[in-house]
Amino acid sequence: MTLVMPEARPTDHTAQATRRAARRRWLLLAPSLFVLVFAASGPLLIVLLYSFLTPGNFGDVVWQFSTEGWFRVFFARDIFDPESVQLNQAHAAIFWRSISLSLQTTLICAVLGFPTAWFIAMQPPGRREILLFLVTIPFWTNLLIRTFAIQEVIRNQGLINTILLNTGVISAPIQMLYTDFAILVGMAYVFLPFMVLPLYAAMEKLDRRLIEAGYDLYASRWRVMWHIILPLVRPGVIAGSILVFIPAIGAYVTPRVLGGGRNMMLGNLIELQFGQGRNWPLGAALALTLLVIVVVALMFYIRVTSRQEARHG
Amino acid sequence: MKDTVTATPQAEIEIEGLSKTFGTGVDAFEALKNISLTIRRGEFFTLLGPSGCGKTTLLRMIAGFEHPTRGTLRIDGRDMGGLGPNQRSVNTVFQNYALFPHMSVADNIGFGLRMLGKPRTEVKATVAEMLTLVRMEQLADRRPSEISGGQQQRVALARALAPRPRVLLLDEPLSALDLKLRKEMQSELKRLQTETGITFVFVTHDQEEALTMSDRIAVMNAGRILQIGSPREIYDQPAERFVADFIGDTNFLTAVVTEAVENRCRVRLPSGAEVEAGVPRGMSPRMGDTVTIVIRPEHARLAEDGALHGRVEESVFFGTDTHITVTLDSGETFTLRRQNAADLPATPGPGARVTIAVARGGTQVLRS
Repeated sequence: MTLVMPEARPTDHTAQATRRAARRRWLLLAPSLFVLVFAASGPLLIVLLYSFLTPGNFGDVVWQFSTEGWFRVFFARDIFDPESVQLNQAHAAIFWRSISLSLQTTLICAVLGFPTAWFIAMQPPGRREILLFLVTIPFWTNLLIRTFAIQEVIRNQGLINTILLNTGVISAPIQMLYTDFAILVGMAYVFLPFMVLPLYAAMEKLDRRLIEAGYDLYASRWRVMWHIILPLVRPGVIAGSILVFIPAIGAYVTPRVLGGGRNMMLGNLIELQFGQGRNWPLGAALALTLLVIVVVALMFYIRVTSRQEARHG
Repeated sequence: MKDTVTATPQAEIEIEGLSKTFGTGVDAFEALKNISLTIRRGEFFTLLGPSGCGKTTLLRMIAGFEHPTRGTLRIDGRDMGGLGPNQRSVNTVFQNYALFPHMSVADNIGFGLRMLGKPRTEVKATVAEMLTLVRMEQLADRRPSEISGGQQQRVALARALAPRPRVLLLDEPLSALDLKLRKEMQSELKRLQTETGITFVFVTHDQEEALTMSDRIAVMNAGRILQIGSPREIYDQPAERFVADFIGDTNFLTAVVTEAVENRCRVRLPSGAEVEAGVPRGMSPRMGDTVTIVIRPEHARLAEDGALHGRVEESVFFGTDTHITVTLDSGETFTLRRQNAADLPATPGPGARVTIAVARGGTQVLRS
């Protein structure tokens, strides 16, 4: 791939130099290429391949082309009459729950994270670092253990119900564990730092004089927030939402521990196919469907937010 | 604005006994100490002083960003106590402009009017008018990041003027511009002030800027106002050593009062010569007092028989004139300027003995 000028015939020396430069270029590119080919594209291609194979009887796959996996993502056959096909309502419900819970989680994290990040960003520099450090403390404990701790708080004999029962506010425990509500609480708790950190990064960069200029030009607190602060920290809101939404929609541990067996999310459904379900092609197809949902959601979100910014101009 | 002619011009801003302390306990810092000041309607008023003198704090207090620890502040007769910046008919041109980066030039200028809830057509008309006023019609749709520093400066001005405030505050607005642009903006600012009739309060540490643009100047240092007056008064009759030193080049000499009447007196210089000197208001020197006097370089010239004698230390060529530093026989240093006119004899070089004459009225006694 050396570029040779037709007029100036390269001497051996320059040709050698060009070859050396090309070699160095590939060498420098190697780590990123390695990551892209083997760590990112490779596994995805394997998943894509498996989604078009036939499931084996004891898990694994039979090397025979089949679209049954993809078919069953969306449709279900009657057990007694394989010709009777209908929409797979169980899957639809799980898809819907996953999307809905992830969106709600993102919203809750944004509502809680925004004032938190703002508060930290408004502190003097020394205290900011301490507070940021505190935000990251939950990461020190294993996710599973933290999730079980939430279970301990919200279960029927848990902290909240015990307090409410003993103070006489309620006469029978409120069923919180193994509901969508429990999943929501767990996910909001787990993902909140992913919203706070990018929001803080955006707010910390914000020029305070712009806020003063807003007040100076007769804007109220709310209008300063709406017309000046929000548009300027929008990149932080976008980054935070992406960092919360994507892991939330594929969450596995939280819905498993707090949602029980019935309130499955996509992550649990996929795991089921690779485990007890022994249907790897269906699992692979479901995983790719999840990927498509995430990509579409991201594109939609970025489109909407960038349009908002354009409208502001 | 009323057209009634009154003996004393109407006050726009009245400040009485204003103090501001930041922090508490041992960290407490008194940024402003008992400031009293009246700014007249429609005047170009400048707060001049070195950085850290409290001029910006005073400006921020007029704007409403800071609240006084003690004292009162009235704008147009109304007490501003407890009112935020969005409740005062005062707009600010910030030091680094603080234009909203996510809005176009036109939207920046219209922001204040929109926040005041003006109808859309009025906003549009005023924005167009402001764009013309600051000559930015062509760039209305650009973002602040897409225009030059001088243009940003003009947009910041237009944005602050658009809501037609009673008072416009300018916080060192020209400091980020290069020399040529700064000169241009100085006359532009003066033009805008005359055209709009709005009271301008201008903060700067640049004495030349203050002298050329202001109707009146308040010289500040260490949280206090040292002197308030017209540029001429401040320059010709500095009341204190700091004022004289901060504004323009000055020679300080020690002298003894030999005769004192109302606002003038005679002083004897160390050379034995006696000169007449002006006395600042409120000061009454007595015979025999030792005082410091100031003589501006332009009031002194080389002459055959003068009041001061000395030896030339160095002479530096500055194009239109030459600055000559002389060590007087009393040991004091004296600097004078000499125009490089073609018909004058050559400038005396280092080591030459010279005699310096001081122009009548060019000597001023300082408050000790």
